[in-house]
Amino acid sequence: MKFTRAAKAAVAAGIVCLGTTACLADSGTETGDGGGGGGGGGNTNTTDSIEIMYGFTGPGSDKFQAALADFAESEGIDIEFASTPDFNSLINTRVQGNDLPDIAIFPQPGIMASIASTGKLADLSEVLDMDDLEQNVVTGALAAGAVEGTQYAVPLMINVKSIVFHPKQAWETAGYEAPQTLDELTALTTEIAATGTTPWCLGLESGAATGWPATDWIENLLLAQQGAETYNSWVRHEIPFNDPVVDQAAATMEELLLTDGHVNGGRAAIAASNFGTAANPMFDETPGCLMYRQGNFVAEAGGFPEDVVAELDERVGIFPMPGTSPQDKPVLGGGDLAALFSADNEAAQKVLAFITAEGFGAEWAQQTGFISPRKDFDLSNYPNELTAQIAQIAYDSTAFVFDGSDQMPGAVGSGSFWREMTAWVSGGQDREETLANIEASWPAS
Amino acid sequence: MLIKIINALLAVLAGVGGAVVLFWVLNKAADVFPMKARERVRPYLFILPAFLAIGLYLIYPAVQTVVFSFANARSTAFVGVANYRELLASSAFQSTLLNTLLWIVAVPVATIVVGLLVATLADRLRPRGEKLSKTLIFLPMAISAVGAGTIWRFVYASNPPGRPQIGLLNAGVVGLGGDPVAWLQMSDGKLNSFLLMAILLWVQAGFAMVLLSAAIKGVPVDTLEAARIDGAGERAVFFRIVVPQIRGTVITVFITVLIGVMKTFDIVYVMTNGNFDTNIIAVDFYNQLFTNGNTGYAAAIVVMLMVAIIPIMIYQVRQFRAQEAQR
Repeated sequence: MKFTRAAKAAVAAGIVCLGTTACLADSGTETGDGGGGGGGGGNTNTTDSIEIMYGFTGPGSDKFQAALADFAESEGIDIEFASTPDFNSLINTRVQGNDLPDIAIFPQPGIMASIASTGKLADLSEVLDMDDLEQNVVTGALAAGAVEGTQYAVPLMINVKSIVFHPKQAWETAGYEAPQTLDELTALTTEIAATGTTPWCLGLESGAATGWPATDWIENLLLAQQGAETYNSWVRHEIPFNDPVVDQAAATMEELLLTDGHVNGGRAAIAASNFGTAANPMFDETPGCLMYRQGNFVAEAGGFPEDVVAELDERVGIFPMPGTSPQDKPVLGGGDLAALFSADNEAAQKVLAFITAEGFGAEWAQQTGFISPRKDFDLSNYPNELTAQIAQIAYDSTAFVFDGSDQMPGAVGSGSFWREMTAWVSGGQDREETLANIEASWPAS
Repeated sequence: MLIKIINALLAVLAGVGGAVVLFWVLNKAADVFPMKARERVRPYLFILPAFLAIGLYLIYPAVQTVVFSFANARSTAFVGVANYRELLASSAFQSTLLNTLLWIVAVPVATIVVGLLVATLADRLRPRGEKLSKTLIFLPMAISAVGAGTIWRFVYASNPPGRPQIGLLNAGVVGLGGDPVAWLQMSDGKLNSFLLMAILLWVQAGFAMVLLSAAIKGVPVDTLEAARIDGAGERAVFFRIVVPQIRGTVITVFITVLIGVMKTFDIVYVMTNGNFDTNIIAVDFYNQLFTNGNTGYAAAIVVMLMVAIIPIMIYQVRQFRAQEAQR
């Protein structure tokens, strides 16, 4: 009795397995199903209703929609805005299911590049005025949208991460001057620490993305010390992640930030502080720290305290992260890259051309939250002097490189790099082990 | 808006109508068999759609997952057991397994203990006090895990020394003259993992309490009185009279919570995303699949989770059968 039941079960299980035995994905099917031009599948018909998917939400999303409203109406295009805070997961799911938006605005070029490799993104050189873009868009920002020489994406807006904020009054009272070189920055750090004030503010906490501010630090220092070429080959993994030059950048970071008394609260506090509010002690009566290197987006509501945001120009000063010499002005940034899935959809082409053309975002910029990647953008559109200065830093850069973690494979760029940096900064492991772990996590391809 | 409502109504109608038509056709189909076989075939025909649905939506994906677990990151070539070997060899995954094990052991036990405690104590209050205390314990059940995480962030929040502490725990610590502690980073003795477990306990205790309370109230009063007349103290009454009689409920609650724990994802994802040595298997799976795009690792993790759950399921089914047999 027992035996027969077991036998029956085994037979049933066998049948089920045989019946459902699944094959592996055919690597050929991904790019299959014909489709004209570069865009396979998706909405290849030329309707006047298109879908734009992007990763910014809240006010940014509202201003983006407002910036497109007039254009869409005059052209008779019906735009469906798909705004999601979980862009990276969602776009992968939709690409796997072949449920493609017409235009996607990627917050990270790494994901864009991996989707471009499936052949679903359109070659934009046939759609946009490349001469105009090459002449006017900050060079490195445009390059971030190219994969192996093909332009798949164009920056919609940029952010600048090589900025050191400082409290203006306290800074002037003490008579500090903006350092012109990295060595001067180190000297200044020691000088401030000697007065008993912690020189730096730093916070890594960012929910599920905790750790990214530390990756920006490594990238900034590597870029400043080794230049754009080495930086980019590191990002492309042509040199190992834990190459001695990276270790050198990490050592500099240790010296600047992880030395006792250089960041308020020490190592444990760094990982617990939110990146948006970590700089708040800077604006106390007696500042808790005097410098904060971060992207332009912290100088907005939700970042610096409200009363500071209300009078940014009076209270906040900035200087760019210095290079090795005063003439050297490398800038680390990031940006949202617009790419086209529906190559043949004329309405989508028009919209893409509009959002990357001169003058787009003027009103958006006036309401804060937008920095144009175009050097011909009118600086007077920026809501305050500070934002104009930040934009000018990007436009004046000797090299504008894109955030490296954004371009690395997801397993590193939004996985091990964040995670290991957090473990290192919070004191869980040493520098060597950290860099080696990240190198080991680089996916074999 | 109206269109959407009409669409929804149509979908419901079509779904129900379609099912009716399907079974009508199946019923007719049975009639083509000879008279004798007809009644034997009919049940199988009726169960066929459900069987197909389970096959398509449950068994097929499960088998596919097992197959993927033996393939590479993009599921384009088989790699044998490499995924399992690499995962089990990595210290990060070992720590993840250890954490998951701790969760599996600690949370269900703690939930039962707290649930029993509250149910027993509340049982002795006056009706109004019982209702109030039970409502309070049950309230967190209505909060999603992400919501619970948000609430508990404020409990564990930590700011640098000298800054105002908005975290409940740190407000206490600083109030007593200590230095603020970054609770979620305290991986010594797995403290941070236990702090995360406390959140799930907070959410689940109400569920355990309700079931256990009902079971306790179902214990025949004459058995209690008999024990008391025989001179048993309150402790003996509880452990030797009450607990044996509610054993079935305790096991059911234990297993339900256990399976819930094995699938726990949101709390760890929102609170630490597995940083500071708090990773658990479901978060690791999510990160492998969606962050790292490694289908092979993700599938291998799920298969291991599946294999671990199977014995528990078998035990539960056996237990259920034994209980049914007693009735």
